[in-house]
Amino acid sequence: MNHHPARSGAPAVTQPRFATSETVDFAIVGAGAAGGVVARELARAGFTVVVLEQGPHLHKEDFQHDELAITALSALTNDPKTQPNTFRGSESEEAKVRPVVQYGRLVGGGSVHFTANYWRMHEIDFVERSRKGAIEETGFTDWPITYAELEPYYSKVEWELGVSGLAGASPFDPPRSRPYPLPPLPIKPAGILAERAARKLGWHAFPAPMAILSQPYRGRPPCIQCGFCKTFGCEVGAKSSTLAAMLPDAAATGRCEIRSLSYVRKIKLDKRGHVTGVKYFDSGKREMFQRARAVVVCANGAETPRLLLMSRSNLFPDGLANSSGVVGKHLMFNGYAFAGGLFEHRINGYRGMVVTRVIHDLYELDPRLGIAGGGGFDFRFDWGPIGFALEGLPKEAPNWGAEYKRMLRDYYTRSVYVLAHATQLPMPTNSISLDPKLTDAWGLPAIRMTFADHPNDLKLYAYLLDRAMELLDAAGATRRWAYPLERVFPEVHLLGTCRMGNDPATSVVDRFNRTHDVPNLFLVDGSSLVTSGRGQPTMTIQALAFRAAEHAGRLARRGELSKRS
Amino acid sequence: MSQGPLSRRHFVGIMAGAVAATWITGARRLNVSGIGASGSVSGVLSAAQRRDLDALTALIIPTDEDAGAREARIVDFIDRGLTSFAGDQRTLFEQGLTDLESRAQRSGGRAFADLDPAAQLALARELDAGKSEFFGAVRVATIAGFLANPEYGGNTGKVGWQLIGFEDRFGWQPPFGDYDREPSPG
Repeated sequence: MNHHPARSGAPAVTQPRFATSETVDFAIVGAGAAGGVVARELARAGFTVVVLEQGPHLHKEDFQHDELAITALSALTNDPKTQPNTFRGSESEEAKVRPVVQYGRLVGGGSVHFTANYWRMHEIDFVERSRKGAIEETGFTDWPITYAELEPYYSKVEWELGVSGLAGASPFDPPRSRPYPLPPLPIKPAGILAERAARKLGWHAFPAPMAILSQPYRGRPPCIQCGFCKTFGCEVGAKSSTLAAMLPDAAATGRCEIRSLSYVRKIKLDKRGHVTGVKYFDSGKREMFQRARAVVVCANGAETPRLLLMSRSNLFPDGLANSSGVVGKHLMFNGYAFAGGLFEHRINGYRGMVVTRVIHDLYELDPRLGIAGGGGFDFRFDWGPIGFALEGLPKEAPNWGAEYKRMLRDYYTRSVYVLAHATQLPMPTNSISLDPKLTDAWGLPAIRMTFADHPNDLKLYAYLLDRAMELLDAAGATRRWAYPLERVFPEVHLLGTCRMGNDPATSVVDRFNRTHDVPNLFLVDGSSLVTSGRGQPTMTIQALAFRAAEHAGRLARRGELSKRS
Repeated sequence: MSQGPLSRRHFVGIMAGAVAATWITGARRLNVSGIGASGSVSGVLSAAQRRDLDALTALIIPTDEDAGAREARIVDFIDRGLTSFAGDQRTLFEQGLTDLESRAQRSGGRAFADLDPAAQLALARELDAGKSEFFGAVRVATIAGFLANPEYGGNTGKVGWQLIGFEDRFGWQPPFGDYDREPSPG
C-alpha cells in the first residue's frame, strides 16, 4: 500500500493506494450517497476499503454557476451518448433507444447535484401493505424492518452528514430520538406563500428538512444562498453531499482509497460461490481486477441490478444473487405532479435554496378516496434562466416573439411552483434488464427499462395535481397552470430493483442488505427499497447504509463474512 | 439522488432527440478562452447569412424597450458555435438559411433581412407551423445564448439576465423578495 496526496480538500489528506493484487477488506462499487457512507463507516471501523467510482473526482473549486455547461447534461451525470439506455412500455414491445435513467456520475454521486430534501420515511411506509391491504398486479409488500428499527440511523444521517430542520414542526412527523443538529434555513417568499396556503386549507407547512448547513458544522461553512443547488455542485461545501461530508473522513483514516474513473463490469466468484473481487475498466479502458474479502454494491437502482445481471456465471446463470429471479424487478421512481403560479409581488425564487416549506397533510389519504399511497408538497423555484425560458412558462404561452418576451420579463421573478412528490407502487412488470443488442462505449450491455404506470398511481398523481392547484389558489396566485401528468424521463429516483426481504424466494437482500445468495456480497442503495415512500429517498438510503455498514463490519470482525447468516 | 426532478428533466426532455440539444449540451465543450477577449468572431456564415440569421433571432426575442436577441449578439453566439461545439449543425443551419433566403425571394423578392417586419414574421410563423427543424434549433439556440453566462458570447452586457430580472450575485440573504419583508404584501 502506497500513499499519495489527494488533490484537494482541507485539511490535506493522503489517501492510500492499494495494489489490485492486494486483497482489501471491502471493495465498494459506487461513491454516491450510499457508497460514501459505507466507505466512511467501514474505514473508520478499521477496515481497508477501495471505492470504485466510474465518474471523476471533482472538488468544490470545480463547481461553477454555468447553466449552459451544467444544467445541460452530463457534466455531473451519466452521458446518454456513451451509456445509452433503451425503453419499452411492456415486455411485448421492442425497446427503443431513449435516455431514461439519470444518476450522478462522479465521486459523491447524485448527492453532489441534488436539491437536498431530506424527508424521513414515516412509520406507515414500512407496513402499508398489511395496514391497507393488497393491490392487484403489484408486488406491494411490507418491509422486513420497521421505522423504529431504522430510526437511530435516520438520526445518524442527520448528525453525521449535517441536516437542517425543526423537530416536531410537522404534526405528521414520525417519532425521533434526537432533534436536528442544525436549525432550519431562512424562509423564502415561496415558503411564506406555502404557510399562507396551508393555513387557508387547514393544513400545516413546516420548515423543509434539508441536507444543507444553516450554520457552520464540523469544519464546513453554512449555505451562502447562491441559488444554484439543484443540478449544480456546491462551491462552498455547505451541501451535505458525501463528497463534502463523508469521503474526507474516509480518506483521513488512511485506509480508504477512492479510485475514480473505474467502471466495474463484473463481480467475480470462487467455486464456493463467494465473491473474490471486482473486474473493472480503468480510465484507459484497461481491464483490471481488484481483490476483496467482501463487495458492497452501491451503484444505484439501475446500475446495481445491471451489474448483477452482467455478473452471471455457472453458479448463477440468471445473474449474480438472483436465485429469486427478482433482480431488476419492482422498479420504482416516485411519482410527481407539478403546477406553477404567478403572483403579484416579487418572489425572486432564483435567490437561495430551492425549498423552504413542505406540507405533509396528504401523506396518508382519506381511505374513502380509494387511492393507495399519498404524497407531500413543496413550494419551490428551481429554474435557472435558460431552463425557465424553455419550460417555465404556462404551456399555452407562446414560445417565441413579442408576447413571449413580455412573459419572460413578467414571470421569472414572480412565479412559484408546487411539486407534489408521491408514492409509486412496485410492480413486477416494471424492470431494469440488459438490452440484448445495444452496448455502451465499453462494450457492455445497455440498461433496458420496461415501465408502465399502475392505474392507481395515475389516479393519485391526478388527485395531487388538483390539490397543488388549490394550494396555488389559496396562496393567492393571479394565474396558475398545471404541467401534464405524463412521466418525464430520464428518471432520477431509481428504486426497488433488488428489494429487501426475509424470504430468499421473493427478495434479493436480507434485512441488513446482505444478499441471500452470496454471504460476502452486500447491496446498499435505492435498489433495496421495498416501497417508494412519498418521495425524497436519499435519507432512507443513507440510513440503510449506516445500518448495513455497521452490520457488515460486525460480521467481518467475527470472521462471519463467508458464513451464511 | 434526491434531485428534485421536474425542471431539470423537462429541460433534458426537450433536448432529448432534438437537434437543438447541441446548443445546450455541446456548449460546455466550447473553450471560452477561444472566443477571444476582443469578442471577434470567426464564424462559418457569410455576411448575408449572418444578416438573415440576425433578423430571424430578432423575431424570436425582439427588441422593444428592452434589448433583444440582436443586442445580445445571438448571431455571434450561433456563428461561433457552428465553428466549434455545434459543428454538427453547420449543414442544418446553412441549408436552413438557404431555404429561408429562397422563401424570402419567392414571397418578397429580396433577402429575408430586407423584408418588412410583417413579411418576416409571416415567414417565421410558416416555419414554426411546419415544425421546421431549423427554426426549432434557432429558437433554442437563441434562448440559450440570450440567458447563458456572457462568456459564451450571447448575453452581451448581461441584457438577457436584466430582462428577466436575474442578478448574478450568487449569494443572498433575507429578504429575498417582497413576501418575506415585514409587513409582507397581501
